[in-house]
Amino acid sequence: MSTVLASAPAAPVAPPPRDRRFSLPILLLVIAGGLVALAAVRAITGANDLTSHGAVRAALQSAVPIGLAGLGGLWAERAGVVNIGLEGQMIFGTWFGAWAGFHWGPWAGVLAAVAGGALGGLLHALATVTFGVDHIISGVAITILAGGATRYLSQLAFQGLPGGGVTQSPPVPELPRLSVPGASVLDRVERAHWFLASDLAGILRGALTDVSTLTIVAALLVPLTFWVLWRTAFGLRLRSVGENPHAAESLGVNVYRYKYYGVVISGALAGLGGAFLSMVASSIYRESQTGGRGYIGLAAMIFGNWRPGGLASGALLFGYTDALQLRGGSQSVHALLLFLAFVLAAVGLWQVLRGRRTVGAVAIGAAVLVGLWYATTDAIPAEFVQAAPHITTLVVLALASQRLRMPAADGQRYRRGG
Amino acid sequence: MSTDAAPAAPAAGADEPPAVQLRGITKRFPGVVANHDIDLSVRRGTIHAIVGENGAGKSTLMKTLYGMHRPDSGEILIDGDRIVFHSPQQAISAGIGMVHQHFMLADNFTVLENIVLGAEKLHGIGAAAARRIRELSRQYGLGVDPEALVEDLGVGDRQRVEILKVLYRGARVLILDEPTAVLVPQEVDELFENLRQLTREGLTVIFISHKLHEVLAVADAITVIRRGTTVAAVDPGEVTPRQLAALMVGSELPSPEARESTVTDVPVLAVAGLSVRTAGGRSLVEDVSFTIHRGEVVGIAGVEGNGQAELIEAIMGMRPSTGRVTLDGVDVSERGTRKRREAGLGYIPADRHRQGLLLDAPLWENRMLGHQTEAPNARGWLLNNRGARRDTERIVAEYDVRTPGADVPAAALSGGNQQKLIVGREMSHTPKVLLAAHPTRGVDIGAQAAIWEHIKRARREGMGVLLISADLDELIGLSDTLKVIFRGRFVAEADPAAVTPEQLGLAMTGCG
Repeated sequence: MSTVLASAPAAPVAPPPRDRRFSLPILLLVIAGGLVALAAVRAITGANDLTSHGAVRAALQSAVPIGLAGLGGLWAERAGVVNIGLEGQMIFGTWFGAWAGFHWGPWAGVLAAVAGGALGGLLHALATVTFGVDHIISGVAITILAGGATRYLSQLAFQGLPGGGVTQSPPVPELPRLSVPGASVLDRVERAHWFLASDLAGILRGALTDVSTLTIVAALLVPLTFWVLWRTAFGLRLRSVGENPHAAESLGVNVYRYKYYGVVISGALAGLGGAFLSMVASSIYRESQTGGRGYIGLAAMIFGNWRPGGLASGALLFGYTDALQLRGGSQSVHALLLFLAFVLAAVGLWQVLRGRRTVGAVAIGAAVLVGLWYATTDAIPAEFVQAAPHITTLVVLALASQRLRMPAADGQRYRRGG
Repeated sequence: MSTDAAPAAPAAGADEPPAVQLRGITKRFPGVVANHDIDLSVRRGTIHAIVGENGAGKSTLMKTLYGMHRPDSGEILIDGDRIVFHSPQQAISAGIGMVHQHFMLADNFTVLENIVLGAEKLHGIGAAAARRIRELSRQYGLGVDPEALVEDLGVGDRQRVEILKVLYRGARVLILDEPTAVLVPQEVDELFENLRQLTREGLTVIFISHKLHEVLAVADAITVIRRGTTVAAVDPGEVTPRQLAALMVGSELPSPEARESTVTDVPVLAVAGLSVRTAGGRSLVEDVSFTIHRGEVVGIAGVEGNGQAELIEAIMGMRPSTGRVTLDGVDVSERGTRKRREAGLGYIPADRHRQGLLLDAPLWENRMLGHQTEAPNARGWLLNNRGARRDTERIVAEYDVRTPGADVPAAALSGGNQQKLIVGREMSHTPKVLLAAHPTRGVDIGAQAAIWEHIKRARREGMGVLLISADLDELIGLSDTLKVIFRGRFVAEADPAAVTPEQLGLAMTGCG
């Protein structure tokens, strides 16, 4: 019998593996294309702030805390723990950063913020890993706890100090800022408003001059995270715990311990993001300074498909829209409509070329509508400008989440031997 | 190394100590003695099968050997040396590896990552490790690519990855726990070829199974376990499947044969022009029509993946389809699954862990599933927990479900007992038609016979049955009408009284 069965035609062949990631050349091409489109939009609309060094600097400023929160989320979720307490750990970071920074100088502040965030992470790990509490419940509880605890601590530590109070700290000394020597020549090129050249100059100038040391640290943490998680045995174990903890356990990996590592590092990174808010983005701790950036960081991480590179681009995207909004950029956001129309048209063409007519047609139709909106108006309502970062978050997530892949055991309770 | 795989010829000299020897192993758990006085001797370079019914104590014994728990008495000798294991890590370093029945693989990892995890110290996690894996894969003819993503691999490849995982850690003795449970026939043949290659290279394989024809096909030596102890050590060349089965269950065997016909001419389920497509528009089932009469068992033969699973799910209303399904004169095509069940469709799913059971829920809750609107599980709008519990106890008694009680989670039961619970549940509501997908898959011989008996009795009482099975003997033995499905269409019909498994197998491949 089995010989007859064995001669059966091979079972339908599995479809060839999908292309999982953009290859590097395509990625560079997309970036270059986006840059040219942005430069064209600036040249057409005259909204010079789109690529000015100020906008880029502000974008970085906004992106860093989001990116650090996102990195924090990445570490926790790669170990299989959803850390929605990032917001709370960030709050700890803002407070401890300002408190220690005020007393012992900025670098002590950074360390204290990291420790404060890590403490929040430890609490989350204790609840979710050791006691098996639902990850969302624990995370929300930590966020609420952080708000209350910092207010209480402010009463003890800040009240009565010059400039301090229940809701804010006294001014905190700044971290050093660095510039690449010679980058100031870019200034002249930028002001000439040449197509592409001035745009590049503006972007480079924003990224290379007057950069906070903490921004540099944050930027370095992205490749470092990739290296640790994907190129070391430690990272392999940590990720295995998020993909299939039972398999990891069967191979002698201490699942609980690696989950603890992931969540505590997660909290530490969120704390660092908090330090950036209270010590770099402003020079003072204020209550609710985080303003939901922990959650936006999670969104950036999801947008980045649980990978450091994607997460960083997500953070930059959110940071950029936030920067334009902060700079009162009704004109800039209006110009962005044209950019959006370009992007939608390009996506639509690409889809049509790949044979997916309906999706392509919808995208091109949307491009025409957005283009019409741009052509028939002169400005965007101020309310809409303020909401732009949040709307971008929503739209991007709605579009991107179709083909994302989270760690397989993410958010699940794990019991040893269970 | 001897390339001659003749089963009876010992590959090694007679004075060489056995690769693995167990003497008088006894293991008690609270309330039960899982193993007592186990004696086992495995020669190096052989495939040694351990057969026994589910619950006979095979897995307990292997866990003992793999260091997952310690025996209460008795001793383990590896290559003649007495060894006490406190953990699997010690067993691994003594050269014993376990390939689990359920794969322990992370889908989103590459083969390389899955293999080196936990053993990073051996060759790192980079190019050196990949080289070592390719080397092993070549040496043992496994054909595994370390860069492939596990989620792209089929079941057979995954199993080879599991085997490689063990080899990579330097195992000389491999324990395979029911390795064929998840494989289709071609994959089983490939696995056996792999295992023979392993023994040719001097490794020792311990093969746990309850599928007798497989054991007889591959093993060099067989040890039979019954009720926790070793009852016989036999030579596969000198024993027939029926003798072996009799050793396993301790008595003579029933067969699926059900020749006296009970078929009536009253149609009870009529399917007309049923088609199922994937979301992408690919056809899975194409324009299938058939009728089941009262007292008739219609068997569907087909190589797995030819649409039989989708056909059953479509009839249950679990999968969108076109075409008409008429149950006892009532058109149920537009009804949802619950309405269809209430109208008299019973269902034994192919995968009882994915459908059919909530593993973490107690038996009495599982007893309600799918019948939560009917007595004795419900009174009007409310659930009747007490009624369900009482009825579960009845099912446990009538269907011989071996369990400490109705309150244990379903996961605590062996596969055969889980299946008996499902059969009991479905039969308790006297369905007009029973859709049975692989009703005895992964079930031991005793439970198999009991399930056959229940299906035959229900058929005598006028139930119609649609039967899918990969076990062609079962299919031929139980069915009154046989249809062959190939690429979503019925391509042939066969008379179960005349057809042989060989002819049927040929038809299933589309050449019949």
